[in-house]
Amino acid sequence: MEDVAIVGAGQSVFARSCGESIRELCFEAYKEALEGLDITGNDIDASVVCSAPEYDKQRSPSGLISEYLELTPKPTFYVETVCSSSSTGLRVAWSLIKAGLHKTVAVIGFQKMSELSSRDAAERMGRGGDIIWESPFGITMPAGYAMYARAHMARYGTTEEHLAKVRVKNSHYGVANPKANYRKELSLEDILNSEMITSPLKKFDCCANADGSSCIILAGGDVAKSITKKPIWVVGLGAATDTMSMAGRKSLTGLQCAQEAAKQAYEMAGVKPQDIDVAEVHDCFTVSELLAYEDLGFAKPGEGAGLLEDKETYVEGKIPVNVDGGLLSKGHPIGATGGSQIRTIVRQLRGEATEAQVKDAEIGLVHNIGGVGQYGNVTILRR
Amino acid sequence: MPVPGVPILEGLYPSTLDLYPFEAKEFNRIHQFYENLRQKRFTTTKCKKCGNVPFPPRVVCPQCNSEDLEWVDLPTQGKVLRFTEEVAGVPLGFESPLIHALIDLGVGRKLISRVINCKEGQLKEGDTVKLAVYDVPPMIIEKRGGVMEEAPRVFFAFEPVK
Repeated sequence: MEDVAIVGAGQSVFARSCGESIRELCFEAYKEALEGLDITGNDIDASVVCSAPEYDKQRSPSGLISEYLELTPKPTFYVETVCSSSSTGLRVAWSLIKAGLHKTVAVIGFQKMSELSSRDAAERMGRGGDIIWESPFGITMPAGYAMYARAHMARYGTTEEHLAKVRVKNSHYGVANPKANYRKELSLEDILNSEMITSPLKKFDCCANADGSSCIILAGGDVAKSITKKPIWVVGLGAATDTMSMAGRKSLTGLQCAQEAAKQAYEMAGVKPQDIDVAEVHDCFTVSELLAYEDLGFAKPGEGAGLLEDKETYVEGKIPVNVDGGLLSKGHPIGATGGSQIRTIVRQLRGEATEAQVKDAEIGLVHNIGGVGQYGNVTILRR
Repeated sequence: MPVPGVPILEGLYPSTLDLYPFEAKEFNRIHQFYENLRQKRFTTTKCKKCGNVPFPPRVVCPQCNSEDLEWVDLPTQGKVLRFTEEVAGVPLGFESPLIHALIDLGVGRKLISRVINCKEGQLKEGDTVKLAVYDVPPMIIEKRGGVMEEAPRVFFAFEPVK
């Protein structure tokens, strides 16, 4: 069976308020993804559109986006796993190509959150939890991850300073990313002194809502080689779930769905954590990045903070992580986020990440989580 | 008063924006849970065939597929394992501080709940909390002929044991 490659990857600027409609927003990412390819929209056989529906006024957005990108009458449909929607979209596109149904598939992720007030957005975010047993408490993602942070601190002695060091790094790289929403370098003190949101997470421990879009174009091996000189191969795919209700979790010191997805992806790719040259992980909160180090096997459980102390996740380190600034700098337009992470790894593996290039990166990993650890997706790419 | 931008909402019940579950018997098969809650009982279902006691309550046993279930009481006190005090950006419909906790009910059961009647800085890990039942806005049910009926509702949280 044919291998599958990413041939194009694009994203819009992620912004607090984009000032355009979702269709216009999606076109920006689509345009960038097509740049440099020897194909046009006519050569795209199908599209998978990804977002979290609770923020959208538009119902059934796939038909609308497909029409605006002039992909009609090619098939299109909608895929959702909250914050990991576009990684799930990539998984579906891979299967469509592998099955021989389509040769070239576009995965388009988007979210426009600025149409809602932030408290309205928070209320809708809460509906990504169990609406009978947990949402009525008003619990949302920040509070969920705050409890993970508390558990990690209690078990391993992790401190608020450790968490802040994630943001110090990511803010450093965010400065250089023209697609990022937040582009100021933050000091440890800035972060530790920022206002409390939900204990122990402070303002700068949290990513911001944003508007944005991403687009990843995948193709079967022969087509991929004919339309680009630098295909990036999808060599490992892992996906898993955990309970919707946080009460059902085995522990709060790691995300079981991420551990399971990572295991699958490493096995499929035939690589180990130490083979990864560069990674993008789902740092919706500082603690989330720390959990990811351990869930992905970059550090043993409880030893993630050590990677930060030794600056091993900086560009020059053993395992550079989120050197595009991460969600903490870019902002987190739910449905677009996975595609943006994938785009960063594609640029790294092509040697085109001019802002912060990891030297000779050959194998990259994307860790994208939906909800508070409900959906885990790990994707391994290779040049 | 008309809702700005949405004048058609005046006098209507926008069910998809409702914060609380559709508790009425017309809309789910575990309404007995809410009836029990009204009596300050915190309950779930036990399978009479295999003895499985899941929470939340079920209508079919997920272990053996039996439909022969009975209502049993769970403890109404527990210990706070983890908690967070949300002081900024709480969702629409809630006030700060919004306190969430992972509570150990003993008997091998944990649950996530809100902690109410508790000031910021008051709660500690290991504290004992007890069930608190409170009224929430009624649910509006459209009956035949467009008649709108109000179904009263309760919901639960936990509160510190003084």
